[in-house]
Amino acid sequence: METIFLIFILFLGGAIVTWMAGKLGNIVQDILFLATILVPSYLFYTNVATGYAIDFNVGGIELSWGINAFGWLFSLIVLGLGAFAAFYAVSFMKGKERRGAFYLNFILSIMAMLGILMSQDLISFFIFWEIMTWSSYIMVVYNGNDVQRIGIKYFVFSAIGAYAMLMAIVLIKSMTGSFMIESLISSYTSFSYDMQILIPVLLLTGFGVKAAIMPLHVWAPGAYSNAPMAYTSIFSGSLSKMGIYGMVIVFTTMLSYVPEGVWFRGVVAWLGGFTAVFGTLWAIKQDDAKKLLAYSSVAQLGYIIVGVAIGTPLAMMAGLFLAVMHAIFKGTLFMVVGAIERQTGTSNFTEVTGLIRKMPWTFVAALMSIIALAGIPPLGGFVGKWMLYESLITSDHYLLVIVIFFSSTAAFLYCYKFLFGFFLGQEEEEWAHVKEAPALMVVPMVILAGLTFLLGTYPGIILKPIANGMQTLGYGMTQGQLWDTSIILNEWGNQVVLQPILYAILGIFVFFVIFVTIKGYKNTRYVTTKDISSSGEVPLAHENLTFSQGFFQPFLRAVEPAMRRQIDKYYTAIANGLESLFDFTRRIYTGNGQTYAIFVIVFVVILLIFKNSIFG
Amino acid sequence: MDSIWFKLLGVVVSFIVAFTVGMTYMGLSRKITARVQNRKGPPFYQNFIDAMKLGSKTSAIHHGVMQHFGPAFLMVSSVMSLMIIPVLNNGMWFSNLNFHGDLIFLLYIMVFGPLGMALGAGQTGNPNSAIGVTRGLSQMVGFEIPWVMALVALMIQYHTTSIVDLMNIQVESGTWLIFSSPFAFIAAVLAMLGMFRYSPFDIVGAPTELASGPMSENGGKYLFTMMSSASVFAFAKLTLYVDLFLGGASNLIELLIKTFVIYMIPVLYGVVSPRYRTEQSIRYFWGWPTFFGLLAILYAVFF
Repeated sequence: METIFLIFILFLGGAIVTWMAGKLGNIVQDILFLATILVPSYLFYTNVATGYAIDFNVGGIELSWGINAFGWLFSLIVLGLGAFAAFYAVSFMKGKERRGAFYLNFILSIMAMLGILMSQDLISFFIFWEIMTWSSYIMVVYNGNDVQRIGIKYFVFSAIGAYAMLMAIVLIKSMTGSFMIESLISSYTSFSYDMQILIPVLLLTGFGVKAAIMPLHVWAPGAYSNAPMAYTSIFSGSLSKMGIYGMVIVFTTMLSYVPEGVWFRGVVAWLGGFTAVFGTLWAIKQDDAKKLLAYSSVAQLGYIIVGVAIGTPLAMMAGLFLAVMHAIFKGTLFMVVGAIERQTGTSNFTEVTGLIRKMPWTFVAALMSIIALAGIPPLGGFVGKWMLYESLITSDHYLLVIVIFFSSTAAFLYCYKFLFGFFLGQEEEEWAHVKEAPALMVVPMVILAGLTFLLGTYPGIILKPIANGMQTLGYGMTQGQLWDTSIILNEWGNQVVLQPILYAILGIFVFFVIFVTIKGYKNTRYVTTKDISSSGEVPLAHENLTFSQGFFQPFLRAVEPAMRRQIDKYYTAIANGLESLFDFTRRIYTGNGQTYAIFVIVFVVILLIFKNSIFG
Repeated sequence: MDSIWFKLLGVVVSFIVAFTVGMTYMGLSRKITARVQNRKGPPFYQNFIDAMKLGSKTSAIHHGVMQHFGPAFLMVSSVMSLMIIPVLNNGMWFSNLNFHGDLIFLLYIMVFGPLGMALGAGQTGNPNSAIGVTRGLSQMVGFEIPWVMALVALMIQYHTTSIVDLMNIQVESGTWLIFSSPFAFIAAVLAMLGMFRYSPFDIVGAPTELASGPMSENGGKYLFTMMSSASVFAFAKLTLYVDLFLGGASNLIELLIKTFVIYMIPVLYGVVSPRYRTEQSIRYFWGWPTFFGLLAILYAVFF
């Protein structure tokens, strides 16, 4: 049997067996779950090389699966982050209800994402896409909170995306007579002008929903924050990247063949830019860490979309690098929130504070991922941000670069809010009992955080697979030799040499840490956060001095005009309008036979009255 | 000449120059402010005395590891900026890391310190520190916009993102960028007012209101490190302005004159200004400075 079938059978069978294994005991279920994630991943990387392809026939429909270097790159995000998140999930779900359902949908999501990457025909692509949507939908409503509002919203938007994609698939089939992506790409230039516009629009709508691009993003903050955090880390980290994956294919194949592609690129890039700005502004406003990270995910995907849409070699590389980085650091940050929520019972900045001494390892993971998110050198986020800015400047997108820069500077605000809100500030007695999260949760977080450091210093590790993937998409091989030496280079030949910079930063840091400690850090005495200078008044133990309400009030006051309009409100207005329309229709279709009889009689009467004028 | 020891020597010498000049400038600014306010003011070397005193003290207490790291983060930012920014024109003396980073990298390494410091300030638990930090970060979002616009204008006008290249262009053509891209200079200088945090943008540390904001709870060596970092950073920023707009400097005397002229802009603007609230200062930066930034970009694109 082909290995690839074995992989999918293992995923599917494992999912069902894990689901039903709850009766055998928790440990058996956990082990089955981990095995179902890890064994197929191992098989995938050992037996399925890039360039692998297989055609087969199911029920008279030709299906084709295969993996190229570009899909392989995304498989790193899916299976790599998936493995870390799986270990985390085992510990996270300990003692929770409906573990079977959680594991089932977790595995199905991973399988569906791998399936999307393997699909070379639109039928299997769509089926896997729907499995992904359904399993994530069940996770969104898993906790049972706000199912009405959040669940329905996610469902409606996913449905919009799916129908758009389905329509595109049907149109493609009617024109090319084939479901193969290959034949779509090769015959795209022979389509009529309308179809050349319509098909990318429909496909981009479908992908845009998953990538949470404005104005299709409104489901994301609720859905990301409502799903269990162990799942949200792959929801935001990997699932959203499937939208990016699709977008990249649309941009590099179809839209690069037609002159209108320039307009598409411009519009989508600016939408990405606005997504980044408004996502950031709303993230600053949030008091709940999950909501903050959810909005921040929307904003970060905005950067990725900008890079992918601009599509110059450097911009595409920046977009893809940021996609990998985003999977790593946002996956970690959602895990951090999950750990804190598990240990303290809340994820609200205004309630929990001063955890740095209680959860030091969680803090280290959070700190490193936040630095990567903010794009501060020498961690990995900087490499992506740098390439994105340089590519925008060298490709004449001057205003867009300002927009992106604004959003990533404003991102410092919510980065600080996240770290300060949870870990720093006054240590209150209420949280004195909090312990560090279990090792099984901490270790994946810390390893992932370490990866951001590694990729910041040796970005070549991931830039090489990206370059291979881009070659599959038709980009030329550029700068290949530079990655081994960790130099990043823009199109004008300006460069940043990462390793000397890293050594310099570490050297200066260590020197001054030692310098300040010259009399010995041990000689100084630790005092509590109540022992502070406050104009001569000594705060008492019960006095709460925590600063967490209205954290960035002055900034929000300054940007208030930009936040007055919410796209959500327009959608609500449309929904209300539709509701009253449906209400009106309900008055006609009452479901009562008597009413229908009256309709018939009235119709016949009208017909009789106007008989002469109509039939002459 | 390329050995590691030579490089280290370069760092040390640059640091000492930057420290001395920065401290002197800050002392002079205290003196000038005092004279404008009709006071006698401290001697110009007062800052050295303060630094000596602070540096010789030992601390008795600490609030945790992050507080300990805060000043070191700040130092990383200052010294890295100093190493990326070329001090003198010809590149003969101590090129440090000039060729290893460009303007975008510089922008990011310049915010590294304040953010690290903010973490340190956060761990002390003093609410004043956190309030100061939120104000500082908000204000930073304000002035970074015109600042970046000015830099982007320069980059697209001369098709380079490297500081050394921009300096070489000025030396070769003989025209300072202040004349060939005036709007960028205006936007950058207006942004600088916020960068130096003198009045009217001094709400971050607002001495009488917030007890020095982020710096409260720090004394002795911590404060000394912060103070020297601030002076090194001030020198680095002034040198950057001279490098970008005033054609760089071929010797130290020229550099001192040029940096001092630039330094007087925020100082003199500050002594006659009252204090803005945070949202006022943000809106200030998004008003005229951003307008000039836009003009600079348009100018760079069309001329």
